[in-house]
Amino acid sequence: MSLSDDSPRARPFAGLSLLGSELSVLFRRRRTIAMLIALAAVPILIAVAVRLSSSRAQGRGPAFLDQISQNGLFVATVALTISIPLFLPLTVGVVAGDSIAGEASAGTLRYLLVGPAGRVRLLVVKYLSAAIFCLSATVAVSVAGAVIGIALFPVGPVTLLSGDTIGVGESVLRSLLIAAYICVSLLGLCAIGLFISTLTDVPVGAMAATVVAAVVSQVLDALPQLAWLHPWLFSHYWLSFADLLRQPIEWGSFGDNALLQLGYLVVFSALAYGRFSTKDVLS
Amino acid sequence: MTHAWKRWVPAVMVPAVIVAAALTVPLAANATASLPTKSAAQVLAMIAQSNVKALSGTVEQQSNLGLPDIGSLGSSVNSSTSSALELLAGTHKARVYLDGATKARVQVLDSLAERDVIRSGNDVWLYSSSNNTTTHVALPSRTGKQPSQTPGVVPTPAELANKFLAAIDSTTAVTVSKDVSVAGRSAYDLVLTPRSSTTLIGSVSIAVDSATGLPLSVDVTARGAKAAAFSVAFTSLSLTTPSADLFAFTPPKGATVKQQALPPTPPKGEKPSTSAKPSAVTGTGWDSVIEVPSSAVPTSLSGSSLLNQLTTAVAGGRLLHTSLVNVLLTTDGRVFVGAVSSEQLQAAAAGK
Repeated sequence: MSLSDDSPRARPFAGLSLLGSELSVLFRRRRTIAMLIALAAVPILIAVAVRLSSSRAQGRGPAFLDQISQNGLFVATVALTISIPLFLPLTVGVVAGDSIAGEASAGTLRYLLVGPAGRVRLLVVKYLSAAIFCLSATVAVSVAGAVIGIALFPVGPVTLLSGDTIGVGESVLRSLLIAAYICVSLLGLCAIGLFISTLTDVPVGAMAATVVAAVVSQVLDALPQLAWLHPWLFSHYWLSFADLLRQPIEWGSFGDNALLQLGYLVVFSALAYGRFSTKDVLS
Repeated sequence: MTHAWKRWVPAVMVPAVIVAAALTVPLAANATASLPTKSAAQVLAMIAQSNVKALSGTVEQQSNLGLPDIGSLGSSVNSSTSSALELLAGTHKARVYLDGATKARVQVLDSLAERDVIRSGNDVWLYSSSNNTTTHVALPSRTGKQPSQTPGVVPTPAELANKFLAAIDSTTAVTVSKDVSVAGRSAYDLVLTPRSSTTLIGSVSIAVDSATGLPLSVDVTARGAKAAAFSVAFTSLSLTTPSADLFAFTPPKGATVKQQALPPTPPKGEKPSTSAKPSAVTGTGWDSVIEVPSSAVPTSLSGSSLLNQLTTAVAGGRLLHTSLVNVLLTTDGRVFVGAVSSEQLQAAAAGK
């Protein structure tokens, strides 16, 4: 990579090629592939368990688990509901926490930083690749859920939370919207992970701290005494994707969530910039 | 390292800008143009002449009655007592759609669930997504214009306001306070203050839309308190007619459908009587105490463990205390309800 060439024209291409190589490193890693397979296993486990259990206990388990047996398309939604509190933040924490600290501990960071605009560009590229991982993680759960659901259960009209029924086409559209919502929901955590990753040279520490941040945010969100704080927690709207299953769609939470995640993205990107651009890179 | 501090400037500026925006945007949204001054009687007339037939909006209900969090008590959500109580605690959001007098839909937006009440003509459907059950109630055909009053659902500000306005008499001082802004609409703030000094209610404030006379919010404040103990307000409101298929409801496949017969109503269906059994009222105005005889109290109420957790033992029975209303369950099975102190309830119970 010729990052030392800092003529303005060359920069975007240099950034793109850096992103390309970053993505190929990320997605060729065994760890990343294992995480995506583990995420895809969540809907498969759920679907097989529901298929094998003949008794339908009403009103137990997560919301709309009962509906799976009537409609396979719900498997993806149920799997996302189960994955969003822990499994998805866990994998995002690993990728985002590793982003800078991993390079530092492997001793490859200084080679990535040749060139004057190197540091900002590297942060942007690292963030984008983590965001693309968010998308692929969500897609892995959704696609595996849809495939296993179609294989094991009948597919037909879907009952929404409001009691209205929609056709297969619209339900696919809504599943895509939910996947997009979940992906957007994880962007704030991604930025937090990137910032934590600039603080340390120990990738495991950054990963753990990011996952802990996600768990702490959800615990705080569950305490009624901290109600004033709840709209500011990045995990506050995570489960509000259910608003996309109402008739008509409640778009308010989609917008609120996007705005909140944007806020976290901007704040922690600025913090990461402040830290990373002033950091002494020794390794 | 001389320029190192500059690199931290964004990290300081960005949170500052966000905090500034978070503080000023709600203020700007609530800034209201000063409306032409109106007397309380004029505002009351506006409400009376209000002719909003169709609307769709989001209503938020907040209560801070001093009740413990019902969900944390570990009661089963399915029991009707706890779900009714649950609606009285915490914050609830509901979407309301109205089209004329006979078409209405209220959706209580729970987390990952929804409770719906749909009225179309004489059919009323109740749907709960958490247990996938539908209840169908057929209204008698001559119920006329009375809007659907269904228990267990978040009331609209207009419904609640009408209840308070119907009770206005000589025991209430009615004033107009500073103009407010609710759901982005400028509104007159009608304040009802009880003249009695023994009621728990300090004031009731009703925001009345300046353009249509529609009540947009109702805040009930306890005596001596600053913040409202109970409030119902539109957070968004559109006066366009909602789409007709919102009111067409067919029970979803696989849902349990229950048919529920309406209890026979007395020929004069005008008065909103909560039960067919007579309840005695003692006291006047805001100090009224309603006595429900033991025959009208559901037997499931007395043994409920949830109720035992919510109430405290007092002389003569158990007391459910909230900042606005006290409920006394006497040992002989009667129930006394009033916006008065527990001593007054006990006196009323002893007086019989």
